[in-house]
Amino acid sequence: MLSTLIWFPILGAIAIAFLPLRQPKLVALTVSGITLLWSLWVASQFDFTDSLQLQEYLPWLETLGLNYQLGVDGLSLPLLMLNGLLTWIAIYSSQEDVKRPRLFYSLILLVSGAVAGAFLAQNLLLFFLFYEVELVPFYLLISIWGGEKCNYAATKFLLYTALSGTLILVAFLGLVWLEGADSFAYKALMGQSLPQWLQIVLLSFILVGFGIKIPLMPLHTWLPDTYVAASTPVAILLGGVLAKLGAYGIFRFGLGLFPEAWATLAPGLATWATVSVLYGATIAIAQKDIKRMVAYSSIGHMGYILLGGAALTDLSLVGAVAQMVAHGLILAILFHLVGVIESKVGTRELDVLNGLMNPVRGLPLVSALLILGGMASAGIPGLVGFIAEFLVFQGSYSVFPVQTLLCVVGTGLTAVYFVILLNRTCFGKLDNAIAYFPKVEWRERVPALILAITIFFLGIQPTWLVRWSESTTHTMVSATLAQPTIAQAADSPLPASQTSLP
Amino acid sequence: MTTQTLPQTLIPPSTHEFADIIHRLEAGGSMLPDTPENLMQIIGIYKAYAVPMDFYWRGVSSISGRVFLNPLPAFKYFLPKEYLDLHNHYAGDDADLRIWRGEATAHPELLEFMEKGEVKQKLPKLFHHLWHDRINMEFAEACMRAMFWHRGMGGQFDPYLDSEEYKANADRAIRAYFRGNPAMLGLYQLFPDMFLEQVRELSYYANLGLFWEVMAPVFFEMSDLYDEGKLTTVPEAMNFLVNGIFAIAGRPIYHHVYIQGECYEIIPKSKGFMWLYEAALPYVEAVFYRTSPFRGTKSYNAQAKQVPTDQKEFHYGILYADVFPVGSAGIPPTLLMQDMLHFLPPYLLDYYKQHCRNEDDMLIQLGISFQRSMYNVTSAVIQALRTALLYPLDDTNPKHLLANRQFFETQLDRFKRPEARLRDIQRQDYR
Repeated sequence: MLSTLIWFPILGAIAIAFLPLRQPKLVALTVSGITLLWSLWVASQFDFTDSLQLQEYLPWLETLGLNYQLGVDGLSLPLLMLNGLLTWIAIYSSQEDVKRPRLFYSLILLVSGAVAGAFLAQNLLLFFLFYEVELVPFYLLISIWGGEKCNYAATKFLLYTALSGTLILVAFLGLVWLEGADSFAYKALMGQSLPQWLQIVLLSFILVGFGIKIPLMPLHTWLPDTYVAASTPVAILLGGVLAKLGAYGIFRFGLGLFPEAWATLAPGLATWATVSVLYGATIAIAQKDIKRMVAYSSIGHMGYILLGGAALTDLSLVGAVAQMVAHGLILAILFHLVGVIESKVGTRELDVLNGLMNPVRGLPLVSALLILGGMASAGIPGLVGFIAEFLVFQGSYSVFPVQTLLCVVGTGLTAVYFVILLNRTCFGKLDNAIAYFPKVEWRERVPALILAITIFFLGIQPTWLVRWSESTTHTMVSATLAQPTIAQAADSPLPASQTSLP
Repeated sequence: MTTQTLPQTLIPPSTHEFADIIHRLEAGGSMLPDTPENLMQIIGIYKAYAVPMDFYWRGVSSISGRVFLNPLPAFKYFLPKEYLDLHNHYAGDDADLRIWRGEATAHPELLEFMEKGEVKQKLPKLFHHLWHDRINMEFAEACMRAMFWHRGMGGQFDPYLDSEEYKANADRAIRAYFRGNPAMLGLYQLFPDMFLEQVRELSYYANLGLFWEVMAPVFFEMSDLYDEGKLTTVPEAMNFLVNGIFAIAGRPIYHHVYIQGECYEIIPKSKGFMWLYEAALPYVEAVFYRTSPFRGTKSYNAQAKQVPTDQKEFHYGILYADVFPVGSAGIPPTLLMQDMLHFLPPYLLDYYKQHCRNEDDMLIQLGISFQRSMYNVTSAVIQALRTALLYPLDDTNPKHLLANRQFFETQLDRFKRPEARLRDIQRQDYR
């Protein structure tokens, strides 16, 4: 059942690449649509009370400890659905006249299958393989279909993520070798008994490795160049899916495999998260390119995820998972809309853009949806961003009050740069000299409308956002809460309201 | 393409910012470049403007003469049959002064629209009204208010509104209108100036009605001549307007009110107020140039001195208006554009469908065509004033030509402001 989520898009990618199909976009849309529906069906079969489920096992290279082991839990299921949705959105929002369409769509489907494989893998080596598989397709997607300085950005992305992969592989191999295990099976490696300093060393590799992927400051320098250079569909996948793979990796392998070390490093992680949040938001304020502004906002918002993970309460961890989904949706809608604006207006410069809310000659619906995206990102109640951020803050405050409050300030800064963006882009007077933009077709509005509806729906019905991960995150918290360091970090025992969800 | 040629050798070229346009005016041309595309746009718009104008003049005349001081004028935009059937005094066989060849009765397209509206279905009149499926009389009232608000733009009509004679005439009409209504008469005793001010406003309704009564058949005839191939250049179109202005210049501007079958002459015809000086010129000044900064979505910050303290400095009219944001500064373009949209000739519809966002931004496209057409009308007014006050264009006296030059330059100085659209309409791709 789970294999379908991996191999169906990969087979689709192969078919598009090698068969003489006339409409590769339609085929890619169909394949990704079926994959999305399949992930929803998997969700319908999900047992909220059980942790890992729908497991699949196939012996492969047992001497290496590499087996085909899949499973889904509350951490991976929301991200699988997000991956399915954003892949479909990315394909749909691609230009009709995209060059080398067969290669383009096959690479996107390949990425989708590889990311699903990484989310589902229950074997460290298998995870690593899937993790690395998406690297080259992304490199090609950025360098072939990117904008200005795309080769530079793609190379930078390749180097950073290759380093990320190396660090993660070192951590995995170190864990298995030092533990003396004969398998890379995830479950077998949980509850290992390495000395704490060794755990901290290995966890550090994991943190830096996945921290590059997220990315966290100061490992982020590839992100602005890459996000800006990438075409809109690729930017959606980079920000919406790939960054989540980094956050997923930190929780699954950092927190999951090294809970004791995690508890020790938690205050430092919370501080790291806070610095990332404030740095991302502050730098975003200074940007003049709206795509770069959105890219920097991503650094800030991914910091909330780390804060939730560091605080390690039921509420904060559920919030962190929710933030992964929320951020994926919000970033996708923002990148899509920025892409539409760029394609119609021909610029992303804040100093040039103005008056796009104009009802006749502007891009009124695009502007309205951009405002909605900005509001969601700034954590306005009623939208999905509020739910995720509120859960993180509510869950983290009792453990790391200072860091949490500073992150709340970061939310305020988010509102500042989005007000700047929206005020300059959407409002004001449309410049007569340049206001001859082509109209936005319904085809171009559909992805943003779907994302907006999802953002709104999950904002007013948050159960649909958090219920998948409650059981899994509770298990992770329970496994770690016994550690003395995290208990010391909190001055007093956590109130019941903050250790369990209502 | 121009009707006359400038005796180039007699005076040196202008060094004005708009020297090319001034030379064009001196050669008998218009501020609008003479291109077939411009001609097609302005004539099409004149036609689309004339149909609702045929309603406007009847509507404002009805309000000034019949609705008068009705304290609850909820149905003032419902044109009474007698005003719908009213014959134009300048067109048709029974015209007082037949200048134009068209019919005296309301235009057939207007009658069809009034019956079925945009929904193309005959429904109760109130439904069409509330659905805003009607001619927007609010636009006509906005034009009237612009004239009334900018009082003192020259002429004798406006000073007359403050004269004792006018007050006495208005008083008679007010008392007659509220005869048998002690409440309103009591209010009149308490606040006589308020009622008097209302009557002054109604006099401007009358003024505007008489102005538009002339203009509607002018525009209809221009459209017909263009369709027949008899108007082939922009200067020809302008000169048609100039000739029309002079033909009609002396027609009276008055305000008569009909109360219980009796006519009260608040401004009698005998005062000799002339159409050109008391209606046309104030209208152009108030509506084309000035209007007010309170229209639509564009906001001005008076505290930041974005609004001049002197009303003479107001430049929010159609010659300056930014029509991109529909509902912006100037005469409320949204309403007029909406009205004109219903009556566009097929060739103009096809033209708009070929540009910009096709049907989606037709309101703006036709708004810009309207702006072009009003620059042509303003050119006609400038040429008419030059004819009336100065010298012929083919005068051989260099001093006279320099006086003409100075006049044109002074007129065009008003378009040096950055928001003026004179520069834009020189470009064909301004749409």
